[in-house]
Amino acid sequence: MMSSPPKWADRFLEWYCNPDLLEEVQGDAHELYQSRLQKEGKASANRKFIWDVFRFFRWSNIKRRKKSYPSKSFIMFKSYLIVGFRNALRHRLNSTINIVGLSIALGMAITAFIFIDNQTHADFFHEKMDRIYQVTNRIETDGRLDNWSDSPMLLGPSLSKDQASVEATTRIEYNNGALRYNETVFSEWIWFVDPEFMDIFSFPVLSGNAKSLENKTEIILVKEVAEKYFGKTNPIGQSVSIKFDNDHKIEFTVGAVIERPDGSSLYPSVLISMAIFEDLKPRKANDWAYQTDGTFVLLKPSHSPSELFEAMEGYKKIQNAASPQWLIKDFQFYPLKGLNLESADIISSVSNGANPAGLISLGVIAGLLLLLASFNYMNVSVATVATRLKEIGIRKVIGGQKKEIIQQFLLENFLLCAASLVIGCLLAYIFFLPGFNSLYPVNIPFAFSSGNAVFFFFGSLLLFIGLVSGGYPAFYIASFTPINIMRGREKFGQRSLFSRILLTLQFVLAFMTIVGAFVFIDNSLYLKNKDWGYNHSQILSVPVGDKANYLALRDKLADNPNIAMMAGSSNHIGYSNTRATFVFHEQRFETVDFRVGFNYLETMNIRLKEGRFFDRNIQSDKIESVIINETFADKLGWDNPVSEYFEFDSLRRYVIGVVKDFHYEGFYNNLDPVLFRIVPEDDIHYLTVQVKGGHLNETQDQIKSAWSGIAPDDPYEGFLQDEVFENFNNDNNANVKLLGFISGVTVILASLGLFGLVSFNITRRMKEFSIRKVFGALMPHIFKLMSRDYVWILMAAFLIGAPAGFFVTNILIQNIYPDPQPATPVPFIIAVSVMLAVVILTVTSQMRRIIRNNPAQTLRNE
Amino acid sequence: MKGTYLGELEELILLTVGVLYENAYGVAIKDEIEKQVGRKLNISAVHAVLKRLEDKALINSSMGGATSERGGRRKRLFTLTTLGKKALEQANEVRSQLYNQIPKVALQFNTY
Repeated sequence: MMSSPPKWADRFLEWYCNPDLLEEVQGDAHELYQSRLQKEGKASANRKFIWDVFRFFRWSNIKRRKKSYPSKSFIMFKSYLIVGFRNALRHRLNSTINIVGLSIALGMAITAFIFIDNQTHADFFHEKMDRIYQVTNRIETDGRLDNWSDSPMLLGPSLSKDQASVEATTRIEYNNGALRYNETVFSEWIWFVDPEFMDIFSFPVLSGNAKSLENKTEIILVKEVAEKYFGKTNPIGQSVSIKFDNDHKIEFTVGAVIERPDGSSLYPSVLISMAIFEDLKPRKANDWAYQTDGTFVLLKPSHSPSELFEAMEGYKKIQNAASPQWLIKDFQFYPLKGLNLESADIISSVSNGANPAGLISLGVIAGLLLLLASFNYMNVSVATVATRLKEIGIRKVIGGQKKEIIQQFLLENFLLCAASLVIGCLLAYIFFLPGFNSLYPVNIPFAFSSGNAVFFFFGSLLLFIGLVSGGYPAFYIASFTPINIMRGREKFGQRSLFSRILLTLQFVLAFMTIVGAFVFIDNSLYLKNKDWGYNHSQILSVPVGDKANYLALRDKLADNPNIAMMAGSSNHIGYSNTRATFVFHEQRFETVDFRVGFNYLETMNIRLKEGRFFDRNIQSDKIESVIINETFADKLGWDNPVSEYFEFDSLRRYVIGVVKDFHYEGFYNNLDPVLFRIVPEDDIHYLTVQVKGGHLNETQDQIKSAWSGIAPDDPYEGFLQDEVFENFNNDNNANVKLLGFISGVTVILASLGLFGLVSFNITRRMKEFSIRKVFGALMPHIFKLMSRDYVWILMAAFLIGAPAGFFVTNILIQNIYPDPQPATPVPFIIAVSVMLAVVILTVTSQMRRIIRNNPAQTLRNE
Repeated sequence: MKGTYLGELEELILLTVGVLYENAYGVAIKDEIEKQVGRKLNISAVHAVLKRLEDKALINSSMGGATSERGGRRKRLFTLTTLGKKALEQANEVRSQLYNQIPKVALQFNTY
């Protein structure tokens, strides 16, 4: 049996000894022990073993060598970083230009992405989103198919009762109402919905009971509305009242407060039960002919709307039998997913969303800006790389592989891009997104729909700009042969064709954006100042609710000296346009139907083309006379419209006058036929006043105080006619600002790139210019020499970019506005002068360096 | 250069590594020196010198040759490198060169 050395000494050795050396050291010690054991006996062997263990206790055996040396790639990585960083510092100007340009472009790209992401992922918070559909009506008018959000009142209940694949349905019916809590009254947009609304949609319930609507005396408020009335106190259980337009006042208890998430394309604010609507208007609530504002269907899992198509044919027959005025072609099922993007195609859509054309153009613009910044970067880095040729040569001589040089340049580039990405994120977060939110009526948070979206977006963004901006220099430079570099044979960056093409491309893009933006801005300004077809500047209008208020207010204002004229109406131009259809010679036409009092057209300054306005003294005017607009006459093909007639609302209507076309809504849509007819005073909801020049504000205050004497319970909601296109004008102004900003950024990016290139070229040619100066060259001559290249590039870029920008923008404009302004040369002139100014400024700012430079200094150090 | 200087013990151990050829490891070197030169060395001293020689690139090492006395642990086996061989030749040369220059007389003091 083998005996072993003292355990403690052995353990001590194992403890202190470097594990890498332990095997040989311990092995030797043990071998010696065994041989001594045989020769000298156990005691001596033990003693000597202990001695050996202590003698081995030296620093060289104790110290742990690093497990592994840093790998070569890590060392090289460090070297690349240091060299790259020093280089960036040496060319401070160019690095700044690169980073600033890229950051701005990235910031805008991020903002655009967030917006697009937000729009394409609207309503994703609804848990049953995949199973929710909106049912719309398709109606053929004037030979085109329109999709209407309005659908038969009884369709929803019938679907949930009769169809096995339908889990639940809800209707949405809008109404205005004055919501009151103690002394606080505001006019609110009320949604009558079926109690299933809260099951179908997943609006988060902040407090109270989601099932509140099953009890028709309870009301659900959105957080913002609840805060407006109740501040910080708990709204649940409080009683409020709503006064509806026909003077019905109903008491409610607040049952729940819900949140409207940022991603929601539906904007409920006050929800009450559909049962209330049935109480208020029982006739409408049980009529297939009555159209509610929207119907949503929740299907059972793994059912598809196609299963319902057959049944829908049946409903269509019931519907068409009930209302021959409103014959529908078929029903459509729109999935809630993406409904917001269809909202432009659905007339009076419940869901709100951006026009897909707008989203696409935003994305394209962001992409172009990114390209521009990347070209900038590529151009400047290709130019500056000339100063690094020696470094590359030496790396190659020392044994750097082509692959490694590519790696080095790509790495440097990726780091710079990553830095720009971080700055771009900050820019987007601090400036661009809040700016965007303040321009448009949206509130988009700095958030992404999912982690994957963030990962893929930023990953691909970095990869894209990293490769586009750094790929060419990296691959090109790496292919140089060291001997040529060292001998100075590689003349890289000197007027290379490639860098000229890049610069041209850059300016092509710049011209495209500038011309495009100015064409758009030009058109927007044109629309802003475009004649509405009537003089709207001295008109104000008050929603009065009912006949009693109307008469009272009218009488009170009757002897007001500031008022030139006034009239009542049931709906109001620009504020409430009611649509209707009628049949003429078996063809269906759509018309805007204004039901007005006498004098309304005169008060509104509508221009008469032929015939006459309504006359109080002619009896038939109250019943069968109508006044139409020019479009109406054109559509029906009447050359002499006056005293023509047609069937409308089950009466034969005689045309007594034709008015010139005027705009009753924003300039997004084509003008439709318009008709005016007289309504009895019972149906009047608006009082419209034409004020004598210069007394607008004063009169508005007088009307306001008159109103509070007449109807103290109802909020005053009067408005100036100038404001009725507010939404359109806000959009328009926002577009002008956004595009102005984008074209500004484009100009800055392009000029930054040019600046970097010119300044680099001047540095490189400083000796040449110095020699020229010594020989007596004049500044204009040098300037000509310097700018010659750029002027040609600029001209080529203009010839390509300007028409392209014009063409693309024109398509966009034709898509958005039916009646755009004819093209003018203004955008081109502006674009050319802006770019010319930029080029001259850039080149001259750099020329100062040549002027100031003392030739002796540049030439001496040779 | 400091690095190329060979100490006396270093030279001795380097020679022994050469002598033992493929079987040169700590204990064997210690035993060999004890046997041939009669000099008692502590095993830790041998290790230290071997390490120094390896740092000077005069010897190479590899692991191998586990035995039961060692509890199955492998030995670190040393071999001369080209540089090591050169160093030995040089040392030898210097020595014999110097030795040969000693006047005969000086070696014959015994005859007095």
